[in-house]
Amino acid sequence: MNAIDPLFSGMRVSASGLAAERMRIDVIAENIANARTTRTPDGGPYRRKVVLFEALVEPSGRDSAPALGVAAARVVPDETSDFERVLDPSHPDAGPDGMVAYPNVNTVLEMADLITAMRAYEANLTAQESFVQMAERALDLAR
Amino acid sequence: MEATPARDDLLLRLLAAAELRARVVSGNLANLDTPGYKRRDVRFEDLLRDAVTRGRDLGRVEARVETDVESPARPDGNNVSLELEMNALRENRLLYETYAAILEGRMNLQRIAVTEGR
Repeated sequence: MNAIDPLFSGMRVSASGLAAERMRIDVIAENIANARTTRTPDGGPYRRKVVLFEALVEPSGRDSAPALGVAAARVVPDETSDFERVLDPSHPDAGPDGMVAYPNVNTVLEMADLITAMRAYEANLTAQESFVQMAERALDLAR
Repeated sequence: MEATPARDDLLLRLLAAAELRARVVSGNLANLDTPGYKRRDVRFEDLLRDAVTRGRDLGRVEARVETDVESPARPDGNNVSLELEMNALRENRLLYETYAAILEGRMNLQRIAVTEGR
């Protein structure tokens, strides 16, 4: 068995985690940036987006194998919460009743999500670095 | 000193198990936010200990990846804890370091033997 190759595949597991968490951070940033956006190309206010994560496992679906990583499978609109309606008749996007629909983005919630995503990103980075250290240790044995 | 490969072979298998565990823990960390994911773990050292106490053949003990369904899960069905996985990662790094150091020591002894101590 090639001794270094499993370490490389471990690094790729961590890299998939880094990419997925980065995707989540990007989507959170988009949500925060559009927290007050009342116009979108689809019409209506901006709808908050969420990232769906999916575990990558071996095709056989065995539980007795390491996970091959994670994929940020899809970005989907959050349909579970309603737009925030505020009375502001002077707003250009106000309806006939004077109500303006603002996005269903809760900035505090997004910030909390951002912190957990950043922690998870750092954890994946640490895991990846530990593979590098293990590979270097293995190389030391050959000197 | 007996230069049998058998003991080195056990060390190499311990190194391989630590390497496998690093991959499994990294897989857990990568799936920290995957709904429904259940953490996995590698058993090898405790299986070896069992084999030693029961006088079984160590060569037939193999590292096993097991899915942990007992750790408490979050509401989304995921039971990976960032803190516990980071701890497992560090523990495993030290184990790997220990096995590598023992192997290195044995290799140095062999080097001394073949160079007649020069």
